[in-house]
Amino acid sequence: MLNSQKQNMERKDIEIISRHSNWTEKGIDKVLKEEVYSDSKSWKGFLNLLFISLGVGFTVSGIVFFFAFNWADLHKFTKMGLIEGLIILTTSVVLFSKLNLNVKNIILTGTSVLVGVLIAVFGQIYQTGANAYDFFLGWTLFISLWVIISNFPPLWLVFLTLVNTTFVLYSQQVASDWSEVFVFSSLFLFNSLVLVILHLLLKFRNDIKVPSWFTSILGFAAIIFSTIGIIIGIFDNHQSSFLLLILLSIVAYGAGIVYSFRTKNGFYLSLIPFSIIIIISSLLIKISEDAAMFFIVSLFIIASVTLLIKGLLDIQKKWNNGK
Amino acid sequence: MENDINIRKNIEYISKLEGNRFKFNENKIEKEYADSQKEKSSIAIKILSIIGGFLATLAFLGFLLIAGLYDSEAGLVITGSLFTGIAIWLNVEYKKLIIDTLSVSAYAIGLFLIVFGLTALDVGGITICILLILIALLTIGITKSYILSFISVLTINGCFIYLIIDNDVYGLIHVYDAILLVLLTYVFLNEAKLLADKRFPSKLYNPIRIGLMISLITGLVFVGQRGIFDFGIKHIWASSIITIPLTIYLISIIVKIIGITNTKLLYLIYTLSILFLIPTALSPAISGALLIILLSFLVNYKTGLVIGIISFIYFISQYYYDLNYTLLTKSIILFVSGIIFLLFYLFTHKKLRQNEKV
Repeated sequence: MLNSQKQNMERKDIEIISRHSNWTEKGIDKVLKEEVYSDSKSWKGFLNLLFISLGVGFTVSGIVFFFAFNWADLHKFTKMGLIEGLIILTTSVVLFSKLNLNVKNIILTGTSVLVGVLIAVFGQIYQTGANAYDFFLGWTLFISLWVIISNFPPLWLVFLTLVNTTFVLYSQQVASDWSEVFVFSSLFLFNSLVLVILHLLLKFRNDIKVPSWFTSILGFAAIIFSTIGIIIGIFDNHQSSFLLLILLSIVAYGAGIVYSFRTKNGFYLSLIPFSIIIIISSLLIKISEDAAMFFIVSLFIIASVTLLIKGLLDIQKKWNNGK
Repeated sequence: MENDINIRKNIEYISKLEGNRFKFNENKIEKEYADSQKEKSSIAIKILSIIGGFLATLAFLGFLLIAGLYDSEAGLVITGSLFTGIAIWLNVEYKKLIIDTLSVSAYAIGLFLIVFGLTALDVGGITICILLILIALLTIGITKSYILSFISVLTINGCFIYLIIDNDVYGLIHVYDAILLVLLTYVFLNEAKLLADKRFPSKLYNPIRIGLMISLITGLVFVGQRGIFDFGIKHIWASSIITIPLTIYLISIIVKIIGITNTKLLYLIYTLSILFLIPTALSPAISGALLIILLSFLVNYKTGLVIGIISFIYFISQYYYDLNYTLLTKSIILFVSGIIFLLFYLFTHKKLRQNEKV
């Protein structure tokens, strides 16, 4: 009997060996199934998570659709009472049941969406308008306690999205004199600050775990905001706080690159230079919109991205050897 | 070197399984390992080369447009062919990741120029598409490079979609979806067969898999709902004739992996699955995306899983905008599906745990 222990073969190993040997289909299939494919245990975990997420997701969206369906027969108190009842019901499940923590968190995330539905219905009854910023502000405030207590990354993501949305809507509806660059600078600053705090927490508190997809999404959002803000600033001369955004970006980008080198993280190392490449390209087009300039920009992008990839490959090699 | 020991260990293990018939070329294996170690491609690098390549292409097309260098149609076709040729040659000559951005731009610029030139020469859409498909097939066959093969697979499928739209034969989108669904499932489930088959270049496996997946999702967008892209596609549900049986087939494989043999349990699983799938028949994109999620998890393909989940969420939200059903109908369908999933959850939670105890 061959050992049932895993060989730790990866898909790449199997591909390379199969390419230069007469390894049979049956043999490859066996090793793929043992070493690479999901086994019974991971399927069980995955299905559990899939079913509870889909269950909560579909049920909640079913309820959302039901309320979006503008049915006129119900009294306004019945409408709100129904959702409030549901919210109480689901929070009770979270509070008093013995389900596992992950499931409770998923249910709480669903409940947080229901709070938005409740406020939407409120807005519908009292005609506040569907996109009013106070709608999102209320939603954000009402779920913040749950967010902090559950400390569940997807719920944090919902929360941060709400904060950003509230801010954007506020800038459009109330503070319409704010410049676009200022709005993007603030969004950039806010998301970068959250990111910095997360990284500091990760460094100094061992008990706190932040999944990398979460920090990646946040970093990605922050860099998109700064890039768009700077491009707007480049093409529109009359924007306030453009200098501030540039300064902020220089500091943040610098910090991001230093951080990446220290932690051997390739994510910011590809994203930050790419943002700079796009910014320089728009600067070039701002200088001149001649045909020749477009030609130069095209060459510039090819050359700089190629250099960036070469740099990334070199750094990766160094990191791998230094292991 | 740690690496060499690993290779030996792997080869020894396979030799043990395969017996005396197993023959391998150790030098070639070691060389490819060494090469792959030198240039570890990551998803970030691939995305960078593709996006960088396309931005450069856009800038270059801007240059042509402003400079007015598109006057000579024949000139466009010739320059285009030259660019495409250079891209293919670059890939054959230098099998290095760092030329990817350059070859992607050259290839895309080349194809665009050929299309512009031929259109200006009044060549019909069908002829241009057939030509593009031939060029793409040739590229895959000659270069076998990841990025160009990926773009070529997308080009081929893009041509089919264009032909369907241009000729107003929207019903054929179901045939397109059906073919891609079957093809993608085949590619996912027959990884071992394709790797073992020496007639199929195994380097093409990954780019073809992801290329087919993205082409399929594009095709599914058309049958996602009828509100946004109203092409008057009739019988939207028709694609479900393929997605639902495929999903059930996949479930039968998964059930085997988990090791459920109790007949009663199996009946319950299939009944609940069908109960969930039937209402989604009205929007085949949803079950299509679910199929991608299950396939990707089955073979432990993370990029596919993420793409599957994102498109699943997208198709569900797209469904919201479908104008053909009232919100009440949609609400009931979603709510019932949600309850079915919660039942599934309770059931897997309890039953599977019992299974483990036994």
